Amino acid sequence: MAALIETKKLVKAYKSGDGVSTILKGIDFSVERGEFVSIMGRSGAGKSTLMYQMSLLDEPTSGDISIDGTNTRHMSEKEKAAFRLRKFGFVFQDYALMPELTATENIVLPLLMESYTFTQAQAMAADALTRVGLGHRLHNVPSQLSGGEQQRVSIARAIAEQPEILFADEPTANLDRESAKVVIDLFLELHAHGQTIIMVTHEEEYGHVADRIIRLDEGSIVSIEKGVRHAHARKQPTKKQSKK
Amino acid sequence: MFSLLNIRVGWFLAWRQIRRSSVWTTSLIIFVMLLTFLNLVVVTGILVGLVQGITDLYRLQETGDVIVSTLDTKNYIEQSPQIISFIQTLPQVEHVTARYIVNGSIEANYKTRTDPNEKPNESGAAIVGIDPVAENAFSGIARNVEEGSFLAPGDFDSVVVGSQLIAKYSFGEIPGIRPLKNVGPGSVVRITVNGQTREVVIKGILIDKANSPLSSQVFMSAAQLRTLAGRDDYSVNQVAIRLKKGVDEVAFKDLLVRSGVGRFAKVQTFEQAIPNGVEDVKNTFAVLGNAISSVGLVVASITIFIVIFINALTRRKFIGILKGIGISPQAIEVAYLLQSMFYALVGSSIGLIILFGFLVPYISAHPINLPISNTVLVAPVGETLLRVVLLVLATLIAGYIPARMIVKKNTLDSILGRN
Repeated sequence: MAALIETKKLVKAYKSGDGVSTILKGIDFSVERGEFVSIMGRSGAGKSTLMYQMSLLDEPTSGDISIDGTNTRHMSEKEKAAFRLRKFGFVFQDYALMPELTATENIVLPLLMESYTFTQAQAMAADALTRVGLGHRLHNVPSQLSGGEQQRVSIARAIAEQPEILFADEPTANLDRESAKVVIDLFLELHAHGQTIIMVTHEEEYGHVADRIIRLDEGSIVSIEKGVRHAHARKQPTKKQSKK
Repeated sequence: MFSLLNIRVGWFLAWRQIRRSSVWTTSLIIFVMLLTFLNLVVVTGILVGLVQGITDLYRLQETGDVIVSTLDTKNYIEQSPQIISFIQTLPQVEHVTARYIVNGSIEANYKTRTDPNEKPNESGAAIVGIDPVAENAFSGIARNVEEGSFLAPGDFDSVVVGSQLIAKYSFGEIPGIRPLKNVGPGSVVRITVNGQTREVVIKGILIDKANSPLSSQVFMSAAQLRTLAGRDDYSVNQVAIRLKKGVDEVAFKDLLVRSGVGRFAKVQTFEQAIPNGVEDVKNTFAVLGNAISSVGLVVASITIFIVIFINALTRRKFIGILKGIGISPQAIEVAYLLQSMFYALVGSSIGLIILFGFLVPYISAHPINLPISNTVLVAPVGETLLRVVLLVLATLIAGYIPARMIVKKNTLDSILGRN
């Protein structure tokens, strides 16, 4: 399989007082199309920072990131934003839903930015919410949903346009066990349909469901392990992948 | 920035934020916008209306819509009877009054003055000879007689006196006028015109604003003043004309000039006849009003700035996430611009309804009774709409700056809440 994301000598350093604090110390790493990868490590290991670099939310200090064969080093902020909109889906730890928008509207918003008509966007949102089991919560605002439901809305927003890569940053950290399991099952279902997923987590139980587990410590990869789902069959590619 | 896509997404976001935000907060912001709008319009409108009240008073009591008066080179209007007759035949005319005006003096208590060195209780005054019926029909002057009564047809040796000539009612001394002490209706006074003196009785006192043209005049019957002034050719000094509703005073003035009246008299519309200074005062008050109102505009801008800044600051994380998932920063800025515009437009619209639906008609029907004039609220539609545009523009700028400040922050820093 061809690498969908590839990082080469990826370094991220921050100014810290008079000195420099290096969070990522030359990461070489790749993710294949359709792969489910967990990035794990203890707090401060650099796992979220690595995800932010790969998802183009942050600028590495040095090194290269190639996505689908495109080197992103010289992309402008505008190009990166367009790239994120078209190719990525995001799930954040705290759901990151706009409080004034209903579940449907939270999903419709990025779709409008992609020039879908309002009717098309609404239909896609309803479909995505149904896929995550929230077909009955279309018109509820986040405050009327439980944490687990909010995270499922967040997943629905991320997958509504069937992105090439789904980035999830600690998606289960704020959830109770039951809700966390629902979210992980959703990821597995998406993955089974060919979705590439990169998930940052510190929870061993959920990290192990991936194909591969990348362990970070002090900014370096310390191990790459196979997950329990390594041999999970992929049924079909995503819409965007099939477009290519 | 204002691509259709950004406006579309911005509108989607803005409208939902407005719809689902606290009703009280939205109402409060709109209320501030409403007050700002009214402040912008009403302060200037009242200041201009103050002078407009004076102008209206002159138009009502002195000039009418068009006034025919003595040429600068003459002492009276030649061919007066023919001119008056001609004007009265014109169908555009509603009322006409002709006035004889001469400078004279009025003296009281001359019978009780024993000391020849004592300053006489006397004042200079414009003595105006009128037909009481025509003058009252023209200006409703009789309504201003608050003590005593107005002249009746055939009254002889009777005068009505303006309040500025009576110490009891005077607003203070004005050059050339020394208010008379100890006089009122029934008092006998001496009128002197062209060296001719006549004893008359004060029949009534005209009480009005200090700036009223009536306040420093003495009115008597035209017949008696003609005799007193030796004006036996019936040549008057003023012919004031009130036109029927809808008649254009400029066109009517031109008609009079073309008809030959202009050869014997000065023909002016009320705007031309009003002293030049009045227009200057009006413009000065308009500038002052705008200066005062602009403070309100600054306050409104700061209010919107704070509201949008706090809104954007508390949503910094969401703004970061929106940017993170690919929403363009411009669409987010448009959302805040549209919210600001919404507050300004709703506030202004309610203001317009209050202004033209209530304030202007009400104050027009019940002018504010201030010492110098019956003040109305002047709010021309064009200038008022210009103020709406000003308010919206100021609000847009005030809304855009904080939105831009927050939106341009680093996306990841916003998501993570880092400074």
